Amino acid sequence: MAPKTNGRGVQVEDTKICVVMVGLPARGKSYIAQRAQRYLTWLSIPSKTFNVGNYRRHDAPQPSADFFDNSNTEGERRRIFDATNSTKERRKWVMDLCAREGIEVLFVESKCDDEELIMANIRDVKTTSPDYQGQDPEAAALDFRNRIKHYERVYKTIDEDGDESHYTYLKMMDVGSQVIINRIQDYLQSRVVYYLMNLHIRPRSVWLSRHGESMYNLSGRIGGDAELSPRGQQYAKKLPELVRQSVGGDRPLTVWTSTLKRTIATARYLPANYNQLQWKALDELDAGVCDGMTYQEIKDVYPEDFVARDEDKYNYRYRGGESYRDVVIRLEPIIMELERSEDILIVTHQAILRCIYAYFMKKDQSRSPWMNVPLHCLIKLTPRAYGTDEERYQADIPAVSTWRGKGSTAKHEDPIPEASMSH
Amino acid sequence: MQDQHHSASDDARPLYDTDDPGSTADIAANAPRYRRKSSTFIDGIHDVPEDANRAPAQLYSTMSGRLFHSGRIAIVMVGLPARGKTHISVSMARYLQWLGVKTRIFHLGDYRRATVGHGNDVPEDYFYPDASPASVMLRQKILKKCREDIYGWLNHENGQVAIYDAVNPTATGRRALAKEFAKHDVQSLFIESYVDDENILRENARSVKIGSPDFANMDPDEAAKLYLRRMGTKIPTFETMNEKELNYIKMINAGQKFFYNNVSFNYLSHRIVFYLTNTHIKCRATYFVRAGAALGEESYKADAPLSAEGFRYAQVMAETLIKHREQEHAALAAQGGTAVPMRQLTVWCSTRVRTAQTADAFEERGFKVRQRTQMSQINPGVCEHLSERAIRRIYPEEIEKHELDPYHHRYPRAESYHDLAVRLEPIILELEREQNDLVVIAHESVLRVLYAYLMHCSTMDIPKLTFPRDEIIEIIPAAYQNEAKRIHIPGLDPNTVPGSPEDIRIPVPDTSGADTPTLLPEPALSLSPPAELKTTNFEKPPEKVVNTAAEAVRDKIADED
Repeated sequence: MAPKTNGRGVQVEDTKICVVMVGLPARGKSYIAQRAQRYLTWLSIPSKTFNVGNYRRHDAPQPSADFFDNSNTEGERRRIFDATNSTKERRKWVMDLCAREGIEVLFVESKCDDEELIMANIRDVKTTSPDYQGQDPEAAALDFRNRIKHYERVYKTIDEDGDESHYTYLKMMDVGSQVIINRIQDYLQSRVVYYLMNLHIRPRSVWLSRHGESMYNLSGRIGGDAELSPRGQQYAKKLPELVRQSVGGDRPLTVWTSTLKRTIATARYLPANYNQLQWKALDELDAGVCDGMTYQEIKDVYPEDFVARDEDKYNYRYRGGESYRDVVIRLEPIIMELERSEDILIVTHQAILRCIYAYFMKKDQSRSPWMNVPLHCLIKLTPRAYGTDEERYQADIPAVSTWRGKGSTAKHEDPIPEASMSH
Repeated sequence: MQDQHHSASDDARPLYDTDDPGSTADIAANAPRYRRKSSTFIDGIHDVPEDANRAPAQLYSTMSGRLFHSGRIAIVMVGLPARGKTHISVSMARYLQWLGVKTRIFHLGDYRRATVGHGNDVPEDYFYPDASPASVMLRQKILKKCREDIYGWLNHENGQVAIYDAVNPTATGRRALAKEFAKHDVQSLFIESYVDDENILRENARSVKIGSPDFANMDPDEAAKLYLRRMGTKIPTFETMNEKELNYIKMINAGQKFFYNNVSFNYLSHRIVFYLTNTHIKCRATYFVRAGAALGEESYKADAPLSAEGFRYAQVMAETLIKHREQEHAALAAQGGTAVPMRQLTVWCSTRVRTAQTADAFEERGFKVRQRTQMSQINPGVCEHLSERAIRRIYPEEIEKHELDPYHHRYPRAESYHDLAVRLEPIILELEREQNDLVVIAHESVLRVLYAYLMHCSTMDIPKLTFPRDEIIEIIPAAYQNEAKRIHIPGLDPNTVPGSPEDIRIPVPDTSGADTPTLLPEPALSLSPPAELKTTNFEKPPEKVVNTAAEAVRDKIADED
């Protein structure tokens, strides 16, 4: 049998958790739900957001109980239930449903009584909702504000009466100036809570670049710790200009590289006032025994491994090396660090970049290991409330393609259009 | 094991004269002395390090020595006695120092004891709001000295976090304290441990306080009640935190619930909340064991399965461990009378084949096993299969760097111990969270780092710690410091006992001259030097070697601050 992992199967955590959003409209619930979902999906804990607003718009006043039915969503570990859930009865209903299915519930409440914050949020988000298409924004905002007054009458904050103290919940009041964390059951929940506490909405961008073309890239070898090729050197020299152009000024960035020669050499010419930090966690996926081989050599020496990897590239672990799943686990602290940071430029490797890109752009694990990430191209990602904007800056310095199609052993081949990272 | 440490109070001369507390002397001469550790088997959390080698997972350094853009912080503990303040202070300090944040704990109790002298007690009205002038003076002197030390540490010794472990019972006092810290350009973060659950209170009082001679020969429950009543009269006013203008975290009923008031939380504050949500104050054991020996060549890349001897080892080890736990439990039951159920046992191993196969010995016996990819052994990089001589020849400049800093240096493509420590951070948090007894089956390099976290070892010592296969290391947490024990595994093949042969060969200064005609180094030369305690008797029965660190801190266990 070809070793898919270490020959002992993939061990995934078996907890099932449902994140249930609680709070009045226009309190940023959808934003929080959306971010939690992205984080969990990336950690291979599949999750979905159920927005009750959407159901209402389709004449279904309440989501039907069937989305708790496990039979049609195999392997789903976590759901994010985004609705107001503003009464005790409603929360008990969710709780009972989940308990019946053996799913843990984490309530996340966003509570805000600051009238100005509420109105700002309404103007920002709600007036672009389909309900108000073609109306005057200010009038629409006021109308919405009046409509949600109705909810405020019946709204009960979690554990207001002291009889919900057995629930696991995170309650954030006035955008996190006061927080209650109750009965965290496991590490994953604590991780989600920490993640949500670290989110910030200050404008910032993340720049991603692969190292310049390396000598191993030229010969079609994977891994290694090779030097840059002459064209790779050119890219390193051009990078400062590319970055300045993209930043639009002399604002310094913090630069993160891996510990390998080719990324450090690529970042070498960046201005001295850019802080540089080397992370071991940004090193390329470890190909174990296949390190330094070409794909043809891998196919010749380890034919079973070659096939097994193409069958499930995300989970395949190189003999004595790593899988994409392993890489995501080791990148998790990096993502946490990224979320709390401001502007960062990351110079790293193909597999690592695919994983980081997948986090920001919500790419699923069956596709992300096959994405084309061209050499000599700077990517700027700007996270927004409901998605991430992407811009690309080409260095116009030729480089080989290191993309590889399923089953192929070619040294260099042109990527097929579907493999392109942008949609 | 030769431990040359001594407790703070042995050092302190009782300068305090009960008749005239104000006039006596120089309390400065009387500050608590910290123990220096002489053994890696003593938890080093209270040491005052002379070097900066206590930050295994520090990611970067700054000119100021302070991290996370967080400036200087005083973490002020709030809470009545028996609320686990000392425990929280110590474990927080452990975690922060691990991250590289220069942290020191200032237990006010140490200062009080140092001032009134060993065996003496403070005046009856010491904690009263309407205490006599003499008591107030004494109290202020002690407080002053403690605060001076805090400012000295933060301003002149490059400290970043000072943890001030005291009762701090009143809102007025806390407001004044925050103001005073702000004047010194120090941000304050209050952490209150608030307990209203009677069970937790009684349990805390039982487990930490009744060791004191006052309660000898008493029923534990009665003693706990008496203790709590006594504290109630001794410290009559206590106001729980509700100061809107202060940064505070309220930990309710030992972590069941957290409330925090965030006026100006920085990253470090959030990190502390995250850490605290993963800690608990229950007592449980951690056992460290090696994986069995692998088949054929020991190679990082080959990831070989266990040899026949390796499989045998797994069985004997599992049996020894289970038997040890049963014996301990029986001894406890015989001693305490009340039947305490045995704690559950969970097993963690890495995703490497050998450790997973070793863990099978537990899985077969019905224990839950979790594979953790972060727990894979240190990556030896290019040094795998190279003799020390070859490494010296091919990478002379790497050898030089390695000798300067064996903890942080990484050979080409390899991981340093520092890399490993950073990678293990999520494991550390889960280790804190785990409430069951835990067996960690891993490569020696991983055990070194995890052990160093729990016992607060210097980064200089980490690469040298040894975990012979014939010993199970048991770590028992206690409020003031952790304790380590060794449990002998009998009847193993002596050849499989010593350190991991596939480990990065740590070059030692070459004294034999460059032209020594040996192709391979002496086996002993390539391995780390042994720690001070070495067991060679393989016929020894499987009983424990107990470290008696608890004796050294007996006076601290009955602490009232």
